[in-house]
Amino acid sequence: MTPEVARVVACLVAYLVTTKRTATWSSLGAMKIFFSVLLLFVGLASVGALAQDDDLGPKGLAVKVVAAPVVTVVQGKPGTAPLTFRVASGYHINSNMPKSEFLIPTVLKVEANTDMVIGKITYPEGQDMSFAFDPDEKLNVYTGDFNVDVLIRPLHTAQSGKYVIRGTLKYQACDNKACYPPKTLPVSFDVKIAKAPPVHHANPAQSPDAHQ
Amino acid sequence: MKRNPLILFFVAAIVAVMLSVGVRMSRNHGNRPTPGQLMGNVAPDFQLPTLDGKQLRLSDLRGKAVLLNFWATYCEPCKVEMPWFVELQQQYGPQGFQIVGVTMDDASKEDIAKFTTAMGINYPIVIGQDSVGESYGGVGVLPTTFFLDRDGKLIAREFGLQSRSVFVDHIKKALSQGQAVQARR
Repeated sequence: MTPEVARVVACLVAYLVTTKRTATWSSLGAMKIFFSVLLLFVGLASVGALAQDDDLGPKGLAVKVVAAPVVTVVQGKPGTAPLTFRVASGYHINSNMPKSEFLIPTVLKVEANTDMVIGKITYPEGQDMSFAFDPDEKLNVYTGDFNVDVLIRPLHTAQSGKYVIRGTLKYQACDNKACYPPKTLPVSFDVKIAKAPPVHHANPAQSPDAHQ
Repeated sequence: MKRNPLILFFVAAIVAVMLSVGVRMSRNHGNRPTPGQLMGNVAPDFQLPTLDGKQLRLSDLRGKAVLLNFWATYCEPCKVEMPWFVELQQQYGPQGFQIVGVTMDDASKEDIAKFTTAMGINYPIVIGQDSVGESYGGVGVLPTTFFLDRDGKLIAREFGLQSRSVFVDHIKKALSQGQAVQARR
């Protein structure tokens, strides 16, 4: 449900609720009438705006982040942040390795952080698919959900605690009939850095080799 | 105090209309027209550089029927219709028909030229600008194609890939409307 449709539904529900309770033309009732009529008109105006809107294509972003769980990593040890993205139904985006040099690959960029090293970003293999606009040509694309893994390694000196890592996913979406300009989706995920367990050094004085 | 419900009704209606207009204006970037508002009017003029380093002014084509195709190298559906455009330019060009491709991507001029050479494009390609796209109501969908009659008036538009016959119908209509004069280019 688009925000516009949700707004219209909300307005109409509010209208029905308020008008049901309006029994008399009292002062309080008049205010209810005012607001209920106002809500009704706003709802109708929204429907009109929708009908006049002749823009095609995705109104917003064709891709969204659906999962970016908190990753817990130990100081100095590497860990992986698994990010899950979802391509809206009916759309596809190029994979990270599209087949043509002219196609725009999907690329995640993660901002550098002073407390951890951002390592390799691993993309899934795309699916070879052909579309109605050219059934003879196969494109390597992502549809539905896809995962991107980000390797992170906190420095030994990093303070323990929670960090927010930010980045962007650049993609270019198409549907069966048209393409849309490249977009950049802001991405963020939390990394919890835990203290490294203390290292137990063997006591040389207790070692059997100490007297040899 | 007793309130007249009719007055309340009108006040609510006025407030609602004002809210609606405000929302519409905030959503309409600047004074960008909708493609629907452009139909029947003279197409917004522009002067843009062509791939071969010249300048192309749209109004210089007055007297010809024009197909204005907004496209990008990353747009696969755009690739599908390009061979049709090559044929249509050959077929209808002698009758006073001209296709102009407006590329709307960030690829380098060299890459665009490489692409159009590979596609065998036989009509001028100009390097588009966002401001030109905005003047046509925004071209957030590629391909987007406009048809201008011989007077430079917009008579049709198509979003996304269409069948070849749709283009032929619009071209025939564009050729039949307006005054055929010797175009300057």
